[in-house]
Amino acid sequence: MAEHKLLLKHADDKAYATLQGYQAKGGYEGLKKAMAMSREEVIGEVKTSGLRGRGGAGFPTWIKWSGIPKEKTDMHVLICNADEGEPGTFKDKQLMEDTPFLVVEGMTIAAHACQADVGYIYIRGEFVDAARSLRKAIDEAYAANLLGKNIQGSGLDFDLHIHMGAGAYECGEESALMSSLMGERGMPRLKFPHAPFPTVSGIWEKPTIINNVESYAAAVPILQDGGEAYAKLGASTQRSTGTKLFSVSGHVNKPGNYEIEFGTSLMELLDLAGGIKGGKLKACVPGGSSVPIINADSCEKAIIGYEEMGDVGSMVGSGAAMFLNEHSCIVSFIWRTAQFYAHESCGKCTPCREGTKWMLKILERIMKGGGEAGDMELLMQITEQIDGRSFCGLGDAAAWPVAAALKVFPEEFEYFIKNGRSMVDSEEARALAPKWAQAVSV
Amino acid sequence: MPTVSDLIQLGSRNDRPKRPEPADLQLKFSDKAVAQLDSLRGHYPEEKACVLPGLWIAQREYDGTLSPEAIAEVAHRLNRSFAEVEGVATFYSMYNTGHAPGKHVIEVCTCLSCHMCGAYRVADSLKEKLGIEFGETTEDGLFTLHEVECLNACDRAPLIQVGDEYIGPVTEADVDKLLTDLKSRPERSSVQISDEIVKVHLQADEA
Repeated sequence: MAEHKLLLKHADDKAYATLQGYQAKGGYEGLKKAMAMSREEVIGEVKTSGLRGRGGAGFPTWIKWSGIPKEKTDMHVLICNADEGEPGTFKDKQLMEDTPFLVVEGMTIAAHACQADVGYIYIRGEFVDAARSLRKAIDEAYAANLLGKNIQGSGLDFDLHIHMGAGAYECGEESALMSSLMGERGMPRLKFPHAPFPTVSGIWEKPTIINNVESYAAAVPILQDGGEAYAKLGASTQRSTGTKLFSVSGHVNKPGNYEIEFGTSLMELLDLAGGIKGGKLKACVPGGSSVPIINADSCEKAIIGYEEMGDVGSMVGSGAAMFLNEHSCIVSFIWRTAQFYAHESCGKCTPCREGTKWMLKILERIMKGGGEAGDMELLMQITEQIDGRSFCGLGDAAAWPVAAALKVFPEEFEYFIKNGRSMVDSEEARALAPKWAQAVSV
Repeated sequence: MPTVSDLIQLGSRNDRPKRPEPADLQLKFSDKAVAQLDSLRGHYPEEKACVLPGLWIAQREYDGTLSPEAIAEVAHRLNRSFAEVEGVATFYSMYNTGHAPGKHVIEVCTCLSCHMCGAYRVADSLKEKLGIEFGETTEDGLFTLHEVECLNACDRAPLIQVGDEYIGPVTEADVDKLLTDLKSRPERSSVQISDEIVKVHLQADEA
C-alpha cells in the first residue's frame, strides 16, 4: 500500500502556506460547507467519519465535540494542542509549517460546531518556525475575514491566538496544558469522574474543546468530501478510519513524515521510509517513546490500527515509528527513555516523581557496569508501582517502555547485568554510547 | 562527575533566585515591551495568562536571563506575587533562571532517535572543543552547552538547536564549522529566541 495523502497532499507546494495558494487548491471549501450546515450536522459528519483523536489517546472526536453545552450561557474555548513533545514525533511540526491553513480552517470548523468564541494554539516554545508559519496564516485569515467578527457574513465570531510554551513535555497532557495556558506551572489537574469534563468546565472554568493539531486538520477533508468518504479509508481495520501521519525516524534510509491509510502494515511503512539502514531490523517503537517496544518478528505482523497494534502488544500512540537496527543496544535505548521521563516528570505525584528517578538510577548503574542480580525484578516492580497509580498518563508512559523491553528483550538486560557490558558488541554500538558508559562496554 | 540523575535530583540547573527587596525594584521594560504586554492582555479573559508570554518579554528585555529582578518586574506588572511567578519560571526549561547563559547557547538533543543516530559523538566532540561539560559556560562567556530532550525533528537526527534555529543532521565533522559560524553571529541566542517567541504571539496590527 502506498501513501494516501489527504493532509500532506500539497505539503511540498510552498504556495499552499499562503491563503491564495491554499484557496487555489480547494482550501476553505470545507468551512463553506460547514457554515451551510447546523452545528449538529457538522458533528454528525465528524461522527460518520469515525475520526479518533490523533494526539495519542484515540478518543472519538465527535463525542468530545458533542459534549459542549447546546445552550450557550458562557464563553466557549477551543484549544489546539501543538505541544508536540513525544520523542520521535514531528508530524504536527510539519502540518503547522507546511499546511498552516489546514489547522486554521479545521479550528474554524470546530469553532462553528462548538460555538467557540476564542481559540488558542498552544505551541511548544522550540517550534518557532511552526509558530511563524501559523502567525502568517492567521494574519492573512483575519485580513480576509476568515477569522474575527462575523466570519464571511455567517454571524460566527471567532478569534484565534498563538500561545507559546516554554519547554515542558508535561504540557502536552491536556489538563497540564490548560494550567500552563492559564499562566501556571504545567501540572495536571483532576479529571473525570473526580472533576467535570473540560467540555463542561475546562480552562477558566469555561466549556473547552482541546484537540491535537492533526485532528483539527483532518476535519477539513472530512467536511470537504464528507464523513462517509473518510470512513471508507481504513476499512480493513476494526475501528480506525481515515489516514494517519507517521513520523519515521531512527535507522531508516529516508526518515520523514508519511501519511498512510489505516490498515497499512508496519513493514510497508518501513519500506516507504526507504527500509532499514546499517544492518538488519531489530526492534521498533511504533507510536512514540511511550508505547511498548516490539521486536522484528512482531514488526512483521504489525498492522497499523488502534486495535490492531494491540495484537502485537503495542499502540499507535502519537504516530512516531522509531526503527532500530541490529547494532542498537536495547539497554542503552531504554536507559535514555528513562532519562527522558525522569527529566520531564512534573513532580506532582509520588509514583511518577520518585519512580522515574529510581528507574533511571538503576538503569544508569547497569549502564556503568554495576548491574546486580535482581535488578530486572526490581525494575519490573517499580514499573508496576507507577503504572495506573500516577496522577496523569505520564507515569504510565514512563513505565510501559521499560516493562515492555524487560519482557521482549530480557536476554539483553541479563547479559548487561552479568557481564557489565552490552550484548551488542560492535563498533557501531560502542560509538553510539555516551562516554561514561562506553568505558566499561569495551 | 555527577550523572544526569544526580543533576535532576538536585535541580542544579535551576538554582533558586533570591527575591529582590521591594525598594530595589527597578522597572526596566522598554516602551515597546510595555505595549506588547498590553496587547497580550487583550488575548485572554484573565491577566494571569500573560505570565508565560510576560516572562518571554522579560527574558528579552533582561539580556536573555530571568534574573530575580526580571521575575519581580513581571510579577509587579501582572499583579502576581514574586513567589508565584518564580515558581512558574523555574518550571520551564527554556527560561534561564538562576544563572546567565553564554552568548551562544548550543542545545544538543540526545534523546531517542538522536541517541541512536550518534548524538553522543557530536556532544562529546562539542565538549572537547569547548572544554566544558553539559550545563557549563566557557570562560570567555561565548558558549553554553546544554543537553536537551526531544526537539521533535527526528528526521534530522542528530539535531542541535541554537536560538530559534534547528541544525541537523550534524556530525562530529561539522562541529568546527558550526562554532566558527556561531562566533560571527552578533545576537545573543537566548535574546533572539525570546524576541521571536514574543513576536509570534502578536497579530500584524499589534506588533
